[in-house]
Amino acid sequence: MRKIELLSPAGDLERLKVTLLYGADAVYIGGEQYSLRANANNFSIEEIREGCSFAHQLGKKVHLTLNIVFHNEDMDGVWEYIQDVVDAGIDAFIVSDPFIISYIKKKHPQVEVHLSTQNSTSNYEAIHFFEEEGVNRVVLARELSKKQIEEIIEKVSCDIEVFIHGAMCTCFSGRCALSNYVTNRDANRGGCAQVCRFSFENSDKKDFTFATKDMNMASYISDLIAMGVRSLKVEGRMRSLYYLAVVIGTYRAIIDDVYHHSLTDEKLKIYQERLDRVANRETSSHFFMKEADYTDQYYSGRSEVSNQDYLGQVISYDKIQKRLTFYERNYFEEGDTIELFTPGGEHLEFVVSNLYHEKEGEVTVARHPDDIYSLFLDTTIEIPEYSMLKIIKRH
Amino acid sequence: MKMIVEPSCKNFSYLSYCDGVILPLEGYAVESVCYYTIEEIEAICLEKNCQVFVKVNRNFFPEEMDSLRVVLKRLDSCGVHGVFFYDLAVLQIKREEHLSLSLVWNQTHMVNNYRTCDYYFDKGVSYALLGKEITLEEIIEIIQKSKICCMVEVVSLPSVAYSKRKLVTHYYQDLGESGSHELKVKEKITGDFYDVVEDDFGTCFYFDKITNGTTVLKDLMDAGCEYIVLREYGVPSFWELVMDTKKYLDGGCVSKEYIKKYQKLGDSTNFFFKKTIYKVK
Repeated sequence: MRKIELLSPAGDLERLKVTLLYGADAVYIGGEQYSLRANANNFSIEEIREGCSFAHQLGKKVHLTLNIVFHNEDMDGVWEYIQDVVDAGIDAFIVSDPFIISYIKKKHPQVEVHLSTQNSTSNYEAIHFFEEEGVNRVVLARELSKKQIEEIIEKVSCDIEVFIHGAMCTCFSGRCALSNYVTNRDANRGGCAQVCRFSFENSDKKDFTFATKDMNMASYISDLIAMGVRSLKVEGRMRSLYYLAVVIGTYRAIIDDVYHHSLTDEKLKIYQERLDRVANRETSSHFFMKEADYTDQYYSGRSEVSNQDYLGQVISYDKIQKRLTFYERNYFEEGDTIELFTPGGEHLEFVVSNLYHEKEGEVTVARHPDDIYSLFLDTTIEIPEYSMLKIIKRH
Repeated sequence: MKMIVEPSCKNFSYLSYCDGVILPLEGYAVESVCYYTIEEIEAICLEKNCQVFVKVNRNFFPEEMDSLRVVLKRLDSCGVHGVFFYDLAVLQIKREEHLSLSLVWNQTHMVNNYRTCDYYFDKGVSYALLGKEITLEEIIEIIQKSKICCMVEVVSLPSVAYSKRKLVTHYYQDLGESGSHELKVKEKITGDFYDVVEDDFGTCFYFDKITNGTTVLKDLMDAGCEYIVLREYGVPSFWELVMDTKKYLDGGCVSKEYIKKYQKLGDSTNFFFKKTIYKVK
C-alpha cells in the first residue's frame, strides 16, 4: 500500500528545506512567473534547481505551481519557462489551464501534471475529462464532503489530493474576481487581495464580513488515508518557517501514528493543541462532515491573534559544552519554561538558564530578534539546525 | 454581430428584437435571477423564432451526475442552440453520450486567452463567452486569433464571485435575526456597492454598477465579434435598450444619438479600458 503524501507549501528555499526536514514528502513552490502567489518571494530557476536537488537527495519531490489563469500576453515566454523548470528538475506541475496541460503532456510527458484547485473540480465526470488529457492528479475543490470525495475516488483512476490545513477561500476557487473589482488586483493571476477578509457595511451601517475560518483536518487524517486519498495538502506559501515546522511536523506525526496504529485520543489532543497554538484564526473542517454553516465564517469582525510563542531557531548544539546556539525570534527570560522541538519529531521541555548574547555576554533576557544567543541545555537528543524553540510558560 | 439577451422575467414580447435568448435552467444554473424548467425550455424551443441558449453553469457534485446526464440529453433533443457551461462535467458528458449539443465555454473569470479558446474549440466547444475582467484590446485579440465563436457581455450588472456558502442566511443566523436572501453592501474603502444574492446553491456577488459597453460595440463589430450579450438584471428600461441596440447594430454602429442616449447607463466600462495588476511589490 502506497503511503499517503504530506504536501507542504514553501515560499522560499529555506522554507523548502525546513519543511522537508520536518517531514513533508513533497513541497509545492512558485516560480517567479505564472504562480497564484505573485507577491510571495518565489523561486528563481537556480533556486528551483537547488530545491529539487535537496529534495531528491532526501527521496522527496517538488511540485511547481503554474496555475494562473492565462491572458494572451502570459503565453509569451511560457514555453521557455516550462523547459527551464523541467531542466531544473521539478517532479510535477500544478496547472489550471487545460491548454497548458495539453502542452506539457505533449512536450514533457515524463513530468506529472496536477490539476489545480483553482479549477474547483467537484465531480468525477470533470475528472474523467482531465484524465483523458493525461492529468496525473486532481486537487479537489474544497467544497466537497467526505461522502462525495469517497464517490469520486471510487470512480476515477488518477490520484486525488485534498487540502487539510490552512486558509480557505469563501468562494469557489477560480470563481471569484472580487479582488479585481475592489482593488484592481487580478485574483486569478496571483494578485488576490483577499477581499473576502475585508469589512463591508450593510444598509443599516452594520459590518458585513464573510471571512472564512481556517481549515484543520487533523481529526480526519485516518479517514482520508482509509478513503484512498493520495496527497494531503497544507495551504500557505507565505507562512513563516515556524508555522510550517509546527504544522508539517504535527501532521507528519499524525500520519505516522495512523500507519503504526498508535494514534490515540490523547495523542491527537496534544497534536491538536500544537496546531491551535500556531493558528491565527479559529478552525473548522468546513464541508467535510456537514454543509458549511454560519459557524464556519466570521460575520461581525474578528481579531487576528498575534502569535509570540516562537522564541528561536536553532543554529547548532555543542554536545560537549552543552550549549544551544540560536537566532532569537521573540522575547523571553531566564526562568521561562520553553520547549525545543526538532525536525525529527523530538520535543524537550526545559527551564531557561545561563543565557548569553553573542556580543553582550551574559544576559537574563533575550530581547533582540535575529540576534544570536546561546543557553545551557543538558540533553542527549540529536538537535540539528532548524530545530525550534517555543514558549511553554513565563516564569 | 448578433445580440442575445438574458431577461430577468418571463416576458418574451420583445424577443423579436433579439437574435437569441439565454434561459437559465432551474436547478442547473446560477448567477441569474429568472430560471426556467426543462419543460418550459422545451416548449420555448418549439415556439420561439430565435436562437435559444440555455445556462447550465453550476459547479456540480458526484450525486448530480445522473440527473445532469438526463437533462443534457433532453436539451440535445429539443434543439437548443447552445448550452453555457462552467463545469467540465458538461463537456465530458457531451463527449460520452455523443450529443450534438453546441456548448458555450462560460467559466466566468477564466475565459481570457485565445489559445485556451482554441483548445476548447478543438474539444468540440463552439462558443466562448469571454471573461469580463480583460481589456477590450485583449478581447479583440481573442476574437481575431481564435477559431472559436466569441461572445462578449456588453451590458449587465457583472457577477463577480460565487460561493457555495449561504452567506446571507448565515449572516442573519449569526446576528440572531431573520432577513431576506439579498443584501446590498458597501465596500468601505472604495465606497462601491455590491449585491449579495443567495439562491438554492450558494451566494452570488454582483458589482452594483452597470457595465456600459455601448461605446465598444463598434470596435467589437469591426473586430468581427459574432455575439454580444446583454443581461436585464439591474438594468433600467432594458427592453428599450435592446430595441435601440438592435437599430444601432443594424445601422452599422454609426449613430451618435445612441451613444449619447445610453450615457445614462453610467460611466462604468468595467475592465474594457482598465488593466488589472497582480504584482504589487
